[in-house]
Amino acid sequence: MMIRFRSPGVKVIWAASLLVSIGLLLLPFVFRLDGKPHADWQQFLGRFHPLVVHLPVGLILLVPVLEFAGRVRPALLEAAMFVLSLSLLSCVLALSLGYLLAYGSGDAGAGVSRHMWGGIALTIAVLGCVLVRGAAGGVRGFYPYLLASVMLLLAWTAHQGGSLTHGDKYLTEYLPRPLKRIGGMGTVQAKAFDFPDSFYARHLYPIFDANCLVCHGTQKVKGGLRMDTYDRLMRGGKEGAVIIPGKPERSILLERITLPADHKKFMPSEGKPPLKAEEIAWIRAWIQQGASEEVKSLAGIDVPEPFREEPVPQVGDYRKLMGEITQTAKSAGVTLVPVSKNLGDGLILNTVNAGPKFGDAQLAGLVRFAPYIVEAELGRTSVTDGSFATLGKFGHLRALHLEETSVTGAGLANLAQLPQLTYLNLSGTQVTQASIAPLTSMKNLRHVYLYNTPAQPASAERQTP
Amino acid sequence: MKQHPLCTDPDNGPTIMDLPIAEGMKAEWAELETRRHFLGRAGKVLGWAALASLGGERMFTGDAHAANVVPSPESLRLPQFAPKAKRAIYLFMSGGPPQMDLLDYKPNLAKLYDKDIPDSVRGAQQLTGMTAGQARFPIAPSHWAFKQYGKSGTWVSDLLPYTARMVDDLTIIRSTNTEAINHEPAIMLLNTGNMNAGKPCLGAWLSYGLGSMNDNLPTFMVLLSKLNTKENNQPVSSRLWSSGFLSSEYAGVGLRSAGDPVLYLSDPKGVDRDVRRKMLDAVNQINRQTYQELGDPETNSRISEYEMAYRMQASVPELTDMSHEPQSTWDLYGPDAKEPGTYAYNCLMARRMAERGVRFTQIYKRGWDVHADVTGLLPVLCQETDRATYALVTDLKQRGLLDDTLVIWGGEFGRTVYSQGGLTPDNYGRDHHPRCFTTWMTGGGVRPGISYGETDEYSYNVIKDPVPVRDFNATLLHCLGIDHNKLTYKFQGLDQKLTGTTPASVVTRLLA
Repeated sequence: MMIRFRSPGVKVIWAASLLVSIGLLLLPFVFRLDGKPHADWQQFLGRFHPLVVHLPVGLILLVPVLEFAGRVRPALLEAAMFVLSLSLLSCVLALSLGYLLAYGSGDAGAGVSRHMWGGIALTIAVLGCVLVRGAAGGVRGFYPYLLASVMLLLAWTAHQGGSLTHGDKYLTEYLPRPLKRIGGMGTVQAKAFDFPDSFYARHLYPIFDANCLVCHGTQKVKGGLRMDTYDRLMRGGKEGAVIIPGKPERSILLERITLPADHKKFMPSEGKPPLKAEEIAWIRAWIQQGASEEVKSLAGIDVPEPFREEPVPQVGDYRKLMGEITQTAKSAGVTLVPVSKNLGDGLILNTVNAGPKFGDAQLAGLVRFAPYIVEAELGRTSVTDGSFATLGKFGHLRALHLEETSVTGAGLANLAQLPQLTYLNLSGTQVTQASIAPLTSMKNLRHVYLYNTPAQPASAERQTP
Repeated sequence: MKQHPLCTDPDNGPTIMDLPIAEGMKAEWAELETRRHFLGRAGKVLGWAALASLGGERMFTGDAHAANVVPSPESLRLPQFAPKAKRAIYLFMSGGPPQMDLLDYKPNLAKLYDKDIPDSVRGAQQLTGMTAGQARFPIAPSHWAFKQYGKSGTWVSDLLPYTARMVDDLTIIRSTNTEAINHEPAIMLLNTGNMNAGKPCLGAWLSYGLGSMNDNLPTFMVLLSKLNTKENNQPVSSRLWSSGFLSSEYAGVGLRSAGDPVLYLSDPKGVDRDVRRKMLDAVNQINRQTYQELGDPETNSRISEYEMAYRMQASVPELTDMSHEPQSTWDLYGPDAKEPGTYAYNCLMARRMAERGVRFTQIYKRGWDVHADVTGLLPVLCQETDRATYALVTDLKQRGLLDDTLVIWGGEFGRTVYSQGGLTPDNYGRDHHPRCFTTWMTGGGVRPGISYGETDEYSYNVIKDPVPVRDFNATLLHCLGIDHNKLTYKFQGLDQKLTGTTPASVVTRLLA
């Protein structure tokens, strides 16, 4: 569509607008964001940016509302033009203040750049809107498309700005998991480290991530310092290295985080919570002991491992067999007790009520249910070596109690077929060093008890201190 | 009175127990009916009205969950997750052991001998009547030296040479703290999660929730240790092992420290096992009739208690017969263990109970209330307990029982760093102190060889990782596969639980 200029005055306005736009686009090349702070007055004014920036957001959002509502009440169309003009003014103001903030405080980084270019583009686009709407005299022609682009640009720019102050995970951190999966955010890879087991990667990086990277990361690079990788951290910022290996007292990083919290140079700045004493101790010890990227642990620093329940190997579903299981157990005078309410955790064979009445034959009668039995308490029963062949079929056993039985260990080799067996109690039996030899090949068998047996290793421990 | 249309004959009509309604509601009805019985049998019609109000909406909406108000242990479906410990042994040091003389090493105190404890440390702490009137609160450094032991380098007092040898197996909590400053409320709080009597204790919750492993022995047993008359023995009572509002079959069964472990365990002369059985059958029949008539669940508890007693006549003599213990046992536990009722004997008994599937054993050792003469009393107390405690843990460990047994050691509160009464270079007293005390655990579910929490240099305030009683109990339950928020029982309109109404949390850093 051709735009016809109605009067020469309009031509002047268009020319002026073109010049302003070019000026805005050149601004970052004239006053480069070089990561160095400049005048204090710039920062003072610049800090009003986060306040003022909400004006164009609100005003621009109001424009399409008025344009639509104007179809019903035409007076609102006039208001739309007025609000659009106000938007332009507030855009220019917010952009100026934002630029002063970035330039004055020495902010730089990819996030700052994106936000800046967004702001510039948005201002130019709003200017375009004003001109096009004025020329077209209403919601016509090119204007609706331009306004739609302004909306998109606004959303993107505002998001970039929000990411700068709150961190880029702020918005999605508590997104429900299914949505995250849809958005492809659930599969975000953990940060790749050259030495993932190192003290730096496991304990220090998370501290930096939580407290420092908002201002010293990829989004913002205050003071020229980036802490998002080990190399950049060691390179330091515009004041030089912030970490001097072996010299915590001369490392600026440690100095800043240990200043009094109300000190101007205290880090983390701007009222963010200080690091915990424990975290500071880790950083100090790490610097003291060489600030290595690779070292796995530090002398004198004991970091508790985060608690994590070990997953228990699962058994199959035995609900259909429940009647049979109960019946068989009852006739043998024993109980098969679920480990927990989670069916897959399996059953415990408890023979304490049967005692010596439970023997090899009764055990053999339970073989059918072996796939579901994870622990067999056969202590003080009359099972003999003859049961080892049977027990070899209990492939899910994790714990086996044979204490105070008459087993001698002949046939123990059958237990090698039990890959999950971690616990074996042979206390008070007649096993010997020779008869338990087959156990050495069982890698998962961590707890073997031989108290009061001929196989018991000579105790070095005296009974009195 | 106009009769209810469903109930034409008040004496022979259908009873509520015959109705096809949820079991839980019947049980709740039964409890209610006991109260009704008080009003006499004429109240049957009243009873129907009561049931209607009781059932109310539930009866007609068929909301199965709401109807199941009194869950049976089976319906609790515990443990909620695979537990690390199947059973627990709780060594209760009644009276309040002085933490700074045993396991909470405070090296700087020596310099502060007889100095007043700073007001900033003491703060607005409530004091007991025993020291509130004191003009001064002079610091009494521990009389005993501490040394480091084990790979963990844990500082242990010279009073505990045996405990010192097992520090790498222990999970020491230096930051346990309570709200109660006197024995009875404090010991109730530790045991039942509430300072007032009437709530079920830990052992009762465990028997209710996890059930029995051995039909022939009680699920929860309590062993009282003999008194040492030199010591200041605060009383312990059956309130501490009571089942509260849970059925009384979940209460702890105490073994006596002197004479027969269970009174009248042996049948009288001329009464053999058969006669006893017949007598019990007859008594049970009468009891069952009473139950049908009145529906009081406590009648059923009584039947099961009689049956348990009958089975215990056979199982307890075997349990207490120590003639087959090898010499190594006596070498380990020491000579005291031969004398029934001593703490050492009880520790040995606890091991034997663990072997026989007793779910929870609680040993009470009284006398730790050292208000005066600390230097005279503590060596006696430690001599009575240190070796036996070590022996129990070591014995469980060598027999492969410590993997799934949780052992807990602790009292109801700590003691003050300042001296109660006169402070001399040789002697001092210590008053009750709730703000911090030291406990430990070992065995199934807890992380060995660590010390958790820190107190200030006066062992007065917790400065790091406090463990209030409710968190302590939540952690114990976790080791046994129980989510403390889910083991509840509705009583007086509240889902009652061991950890009470203040939110509690499991101290995961104690867990293995």
